[in-house]
Amino acid sequence: MNTCAQTLMPSLPVQAPAPAAAVRHLPGDLAIWVFIFAELLVFGVFFITYAFARSNNVELFNAEQLALDRTSGAVNTVLLLTSSFLVVRAVQFAQAGESRRAAPWLAGAFACGGGFVVVKLFEYAEKIAAGVSLSSSTFHMFYLSLTFFHFMHVILGMVILVAMWNGARNGRYGPDNMNGIETGAAYWHMVDLVWLILFPLIYVMR
Amino acid sequence: MSGTFTKAMARNIFYGGTVFFFLLLVALTFDTMSGLPKSDNRANLTPSVLAGKHIWETRNCIGCHTLLGEGAYFAPELGNVYPRRGPEFIKAWIKSQPTGAPGRRQMPQFNLTEQELDDLVAFLKYTSEINTQKWPPNIEG
Amino acid sequence: MKYSSQSVALPYFIAAIGLFVGQIIFGLAMGLQYVVGDFLFPEIPFNVARMVHTNLLIVWLLFGFMGAAYFLIPEETETELYSPKLALLMFWVFLIAGAATILGYLLVPYSTLAEMTGNNILATMGREFLEQPLLTKIGIVIVALAFLFNISMTMLKGRKTVISIVLLLGLWGLAVFFLFSFYNPGNLVKDKFYWWWVVHLWVEGVWELIMAAMLAFVLIKVTGVDREVIEKWLYVIITLALVTGLIGTGHHYFWIGTPQYWQWWGSIFSALEPIPFFAMTVFAFNMVNRRRREHPNKAAVLWALGTGVMAFLGAGVWGFLHTLAPVNFYTHGSQITAAHGHMAFYGAYVLVVLTIISYAMPLLRGRAANSERSQVCEMWAFWLMTISMVFITLFLTAAGILQVWLQRVSDTPMPFMQVQDQIALFYWMRLWAGVVFSIGLVTYLVSFFVKGESKPLITA
Repeated sequence: MNTCAQTLMPSLPVQAPAPAAAVRHLPGDLAIWVFIFAELLVFGVFFITYAFARSNNVELFNAEQLALDRTSGAVNTVLLLTSSFLVVRAVQFAQAGESRRAAPWLAGAFACGGGFVVVKLFEYAEKIAAGVSLSSSTFHMFYLSLTFFHFMHVILGMVILVAMWNGARNGRYGPDNMNGIETGAAYWHMVDLVWLILFPLIYVMR
Repeated sequence: MSGTFTKAMARNIFYGGTVFFFLLLVALTFDTMSGLPKSDNRANLTPSVLAGKHIWETRNCIGCHTLLGEGAYFAPELGNVYPRRGPEFIKAWIKSQPTGAPGRRQMPQFNLTEQELDDLVAFLKYTSEINTQKWPPNIEG
Repeated sequence: MKYSSQSVALPYFIAAIGLFVGQIIFGLAMGLQYVVGDFLFPEIPFNVARMVHTNLLIVWLLFGFMGAAYFLIPEETETELYSPKLALLMFWVFLIAGAATILGYLLVPYSTLAEMTGNNILATMGREFLEQPLLTKIGIVIVALAFLFNISMTMLKGRKTVISIVLLLGLWGLAVFFLFSFYNPGNLVKDKFYWWWVVHLWVEGVWELIMAAMLAFVLIKVTGVDREVIEKWLYVIITLALVTGLIGTGHHYFWIGTPQYWQWWGSIFSALEPIPFFAMTVFAFNMVNRRRREHPNKAAVLWALGTGVMAFLGAGVWGFLHTLAPVNFYTHGSQITAAHGHMAFYGAYVLVVLTIISYAMPLLRGRAANSERSQVCEMWAFWLMTISMVFITLFLTAAGILQVWLQRVSDTPMPFMQVQDQIALFYWMRLWAGVVFSIGLVTYLVSFFVKGESKPLITA
């Protein structure tokens, strides 16, 4: 049945009228959105679990939360927001056909990510020296697990930024080839978004 | 073009993701190994206990029993048999198998020496003292 | 069959099926021992029947994977196998070593077998699924290395496809993780921790890569869907599998003396482990719906779709039911575990091997597909085995729920043996379901001999 129809070549090409610009283009590839969804799902589950654990240990969580370094957390928030802005600018340049001009903006985003990593490492060093570990308390377990899991995503994101920077430098991106840069940008924004939830949830909210 | 590129991206995500999570598993393994002394009472891992573990393995006790919930489900959990029954009962039980009760599940006779029995009991005692996060829920295992 | 060296797969598949029959015979014996406790005692005590049952399972699945590789790698790489002779030699080595091991289990007291086979040099015996003597384990490593060498050399000289790369990754992973079976520390907690690096990282790790690659291969062949599409989704599926399964190992680290944080990490990640199986099912049905040809081997399509569904149910759903730590606290080491284990192994690995055999065997015998009558017989076998496995699982689940209630949850917990008496009815029902399963297996064997006009190969 279907196979018959497929093997017969129509003598006149029949084309459906192209839909107007009403069809919005999903930046990046569908597969990356599957992964972004999966990532958000995992973080979401982690956050919900945190909330659940907290509801059983409110006093402990509140007390130990006070010992967290909110200043470095705030600095990190600024760094990630800035880097996301820089990535947006880079994507705009690529869209405008100026791939090579996007490169320095991506480098800037990478630098902000690097700043995040440095701040985080100092924060961890201080906490570990103070005796915080995965087994020292439930709050500490969540604090370390969630921030470390996110931290690893930042590092992975930085690797992706390097790949994007390289592609931009080589003039690979343009209005008809935005897939790679948009996909990478989507991933970085996701990493940023997760931090925007994580920081208030773990460091601030009481 | 975009299709091939997408497959390449999926491939990169696969390799990146696998490395990422394997490293995470290794990191957690390091942390676990360094934390084990707090829960495994390794000071109590005497030669007798080690010999008892060897008896446990060479008689394939796990082929019928569970130990800390792992093994076969034909016969009782033995991780907490020491507090449940005590050393004398355990030795007497092993010495008197099989019961020969018609239709009942049977345990073989292993012809263990007194020393081997003591070692096995030491192993079971050691096991019962591991910090298993309060598992099993009760003395029946 | 496009390359003559693919024919080495045939003995592997035949051995796989033969050992499968052996596995089920001992399964029936154990099913009866559960309710007539002294059946076959003392000649074949329960633990001996069990190690024969489980070891046969693992070995026949390995024969199936190797046969699958020998069949699909030449076709994927578009070149003849590097050394068919080596493949045949290893076949006999593996079969004879395996048979000797099984005979060793049956004829010799286990402790004597241990002494005879060098267990005093390196003690690797006596752990679940790893009961093999040291000599057998070394033999497995040798066979695996020779197999991997053969396949890898073939791949190096031929075309590289995603399917073959993923299959090879899975098979190398299988071999690497098997090496942990040689590590048996005296510290019981460490012993258990690393034991799971073989078992979990096999069946909830690299074996999923092997399974996904085999399934993708069969789907490309029977549906004709564009390879690009299938291969991209293959990457997605295996990513989901490892990303959830690696840390998901933690769901075995709840109660064995490891730190408490595993209850969190293990629960969260293992709860997500059903996702790749769900994806595999959606993927399989999608491909079949989008097919561009009506392949004459309808039975193979049924096995392929069945693999997706049963793997999702058995490994995914049943696994999920007892993977969260608060639930697992009560169900750990109960009949719930056995229920999940049976449907998971059957759904994922038994079915994927039977799928590839269903696709490849006719080709190895010189035709595109078997006759209508033969395929119908094969499909009957599928339904008999699958439905009866569902019932085996349901009955064991019922037994498990009752067992958990009486022995673990109740305020007045009952001793183990007493509880077993209480749930005996479910064991009887499970045994009957097992009998139907065996009838299904016999039907499956018969399907190979049903005569009729087979579908001829179309040399395009």
